Amino acid sequence: MLNAILMMLVLGALLGLGLGLASKFLHVQPDERVDTVAGMLPGYNCGGCGYPGCSGFATAMVEGETDEFKCRPCKADKKKEIIDYLKNTPGPDGKTVTIKG
Amino acid sequence: MAEFAGLFVTSVLINNVVLNQFLGMCPFMGVSRKRSSALGMGIAVMFVIVVAALVTYGLYYWVLVPLQLEYMDLITFILVIASLVQLTEMFIKKTSPALYKSLGVYLPLITTNCVVLNVCLVNITSAYSFTQMLAYSIGTPLGFALVLYIFSAIRERLEISSVPKPFAGNPIAMIVAAIMAMAFSAFAGLV
Repeated sequence: MLNAILMMLVLGALLGLGLGLASKFLHVQPDERVDTVAGMLPGYNCGGCGYPGCSGFATAMVEGETDEFKCRPCKADKKKEIIDYLKNTPGPDGKTVTIKG
Repeated sequence: MAEFAGLFVTSVLINNVVLNQFLGMCPFMGVSRKRSSALGMGIAVMFVIVVAALVTYGLYYWVLVPLQLEYMDLITFILVIASLVQLTEMFIKKTSPALYKSLGVYLPLITTNCVVLNVCLVNITSAYSFTQMLAYSIGTPLGFALVLYIFSAIRERLEISSVPKPFAGNPIAMIVAAIMAMAFSAFAGLV
């Protein structure tokens, strides 16, 4: 019984250590514009734009899947803010995103 | 060499894991819409199975047997498989974001792919030697990848052919899978 518990502990610790190291080496730099834009959207997750939630729409805009601003509930000043932000902030590849109003 | 070749051919074609043992049906139906993602899935599963089989085989005979903990095989194997899938997921996310996207939820679902656990457990319960273990653990995922790729190629053709409306989509794919299983049963006379 004690052997079994110790063995599981050691095995779990070793595998956890391996995964921890791997996550350090295989870390993917996330595009921080996605989080910023998702924060500026209303956050209702209404799905009216056709994407899975506000973060889904933010990802689509940042990755250039759509160049249309499809968020209906968004206030006009916020909408302008998002479009300006995407126009003026270059991504990791040095390009900016242009969204039609 | 003979024992390797015999078991290898058997596990790829004759005892095919999908069409003969009906394991791994979930990715077989789910990731077979596009040839590229089917190939990616096949390679990911092959990597996970070969490494998981090697690790669990060593773990069983060098750790569990000396400690007389043979009854713990299932739970330790699941632990090893889950960690390996996590590692594979991180690796694919880093090296190929496109493949990561096309595999979607089916990538973490390799954890529960019964083919992986099946290979690890059969290696132990059949008391395979190291050579036999290698043959079985390489042959089985190769058979899985082969069938998945053939199936995805057929489904790509099905997309552009005119299928009667009630059969369009998954139903016709199920019928195709059944016909493929019948065709593969002809391999039974091979060895």
